[in-house]
Amino acid sequence: MSIEIRLPTALRAFADKQEKISVTAKNIGEALEQLFSRHERLRQQLMSPEGKLRSYVNVYINEDDVRDKQGLSTLLNDGDTVLIVPAIAGGSAVADQELTKAELARYHRHLIMPEVGPEGQKKIKNASVLCVGAGGLGSPLALYLAAAGVGRLGIVDFDTVDESNLQRQILHDTPSVGTSKLASAKKRLLALNPHISVETHETKLNSTNAVDLFKKYDIIADGTDNFPTRYLVNDACVLTGKPNVYGSIFRFEGQLSIFAAKDGPCYRCLYPEPPPPGLVPSCAEAGVLGVLPGVIGTMQAIEALKLILGIGKPLIGRLMLYDALEQSWLTLKVKKNPACPVCGENPTIKTPIDYEAFCGLKEKPTVTIPEISVQDLKAKIDKKEKFILLDVREPHEYEIAKIPGSTLIPLGALPERYTELDKSAKLIVHCKMGGRSARAVSLLREKGFDATNVAGGINAWSESIDPSVPQY
Amino acid sequence: MSLKLNRAVEEIAVATCEKAFPEEGCGLLIGPIPEDFDKPGRSVLIEEARPLPNGWDVSAKTNRYLIDPKTLAKVEKELSGTGRGVVGFFHSHPQVPAWPSPFDLTMAMPCCSYWILQVRDGKMIDSRSWQRTEDGRSFVEEEIVLEG
Repeated sequence: MSIEIRLPTALRAFADKQEKISVTAKNIGEALEQLFSRHERLRQQLMSPEGKLRSYVNVYINEDDVRDKQGLSTLLNDGDTVLIVPAIAGGSAVADQELTKAELARYHRHLIMPEVGPEGQKKIKNASVLCVGAGGLGSPLALYLAAAGVGRLGIVDFDTVDESNLQRQILHDTPSVGTSKLASAKKRLLALNPHISVETHETKLNSTNAVDLFKKYDIIADGTDNFPTRYLVNDACVLTGKPNVYGSIFRFEGQLSIFAAKDGPCYRCLYPEPPPPGLVPSCAEAGVLGVLPGVIGTMQAIEALKLILGIGKPLIGRLMLYDALEQSWLTLKVKKNPACPVCGENPTIKTPIDYEAFCGLKEKPTVTIPEISVQDLKAKIDKKEKFILLDVREPHEYEIAKIPGSTLIPLGALPERYTELDKSAKLIVHCKMGGRSARAVSLLREKGFDATNVAGGINAWSESIDPSVPQY
Repeated sequence: MSLKLNRAVEEIAVATCEKAFPEEGCGLLIGPIPEDFDKPGRSVLIEEARPLPNGWDVSAKTNRYLIDPKTLAKVEKELSGTGRGVVGFFHSHPQVPAWPSPFDLTMAMPCCSYWILQVRDGKMIDSRSWQRTEDGRSFVEEEIVLEG
């Protein structure tokens, strides 16, 4: 069948500026495949990594939306026109939202309790929780928070569902083995409660992305299974001022607490140093009773909801230890440590560190990038030395605080935009705290630029050089 | 990198968004398709702002907008072969700042300009324009150049 595909203005740049492209195909899927084989950049714009049409893409045959027909298998007739039309939508960040009629019905058992009621349910709806990990703990945690109506549920994970997960990770099921945990989680959570939004972050949480990600949520729930990430989650929670609803499991035992809450202790107050590598086996090595994360993850969900509602006695400054074999709970008091390196009186950790190294899991890197202090930078500016001060943060951060005379290219845009920079010039690169700029410096040096990192970023600048620059 | 427009175009977008308050107003930005449309640093010239109804359902029009794809297809057809096209979109953020929201990012197309107008208590108080990066991970702000 000879078919004409028409592209919207926004996408023609990815197809040699053509508006109409002729292909020969039996169905929509085939027609699109032919289009992509000629114009590969279009594939990324139109299809998700799972091979589905992206949410903002509509495909019409003549006048009809293919979603109302047989989707990508919709058959084509000779002479048909296939229109690709973006769904243009967007909007402002969600303001406080009222409960809809459907929600009033769904949350009835909450609404009749005076401790929750419509006001409390609205708090739940307008709250956001980030679940770190969609595994054993993340499963009951995310399911119950979704069922309770937490308006924005974030999940960060980068794994795929393995058959050995299903003994305890009830968010996933047998058909989803081999697929992304996030895709499986999102599908399940939205099927349970379509009134919430589920935000998936398919990434390995690390020193560079944790702080920015945590800032977007009210509460962080730690369901990780390893020490580097646990310390990272703790430190990033302290640095962003977000409470860390913590749970951990091992064989028949579990732990539960809330760390990094205002005036409460953090994980480092309890465990200043990680155990030596190899001393504590992981669940993968030592095993775990499948129901155990169900107990601890559910308790995490309870603590998160108590924090949202502001009711009861949250588990701040208390560590609960659960023993499934004895069927016993033990509660210990945990005090804030004034000498804690991250939340103490004179903290030495002011940005996330390299947790793999901290936990002894790798040798310290020997390759380092050139770095100067904010004092050195100030001296260079005062001496009127020639260099380009490159800021690699996001535009909204630039708006909050900037060092005069800097050029803004966000790190994400740098791989495309580094060509705008003068290769003969000396580049001094900063971000908020020095992490993103270090990555930018590595990239720029690979491309042949003379680039140097500013240690501590604009926050250090604000702290040591110019207090009128706001810290955020 | 810039969004160039004249006062008449600006007035139409502002009036649309102020009238829509407390809901979001929206519309198309039409102009010549630049040769370097997909390049960071490109400029677009807007010759016409065409207001459209906010097609989002009533439950969330105060923080969501939707442009009917069929209407967009019709306009694209009308401009076909003229060298002009829908090179951007405008919409308002009632009360809140003109920064793209995470939802704006999820739904954004590449190349185009996303001009966001902040309307507070019925009056436009700020506007900013943005282009999504090709990888879809962030927006880069572009300068708004008012001509004439």
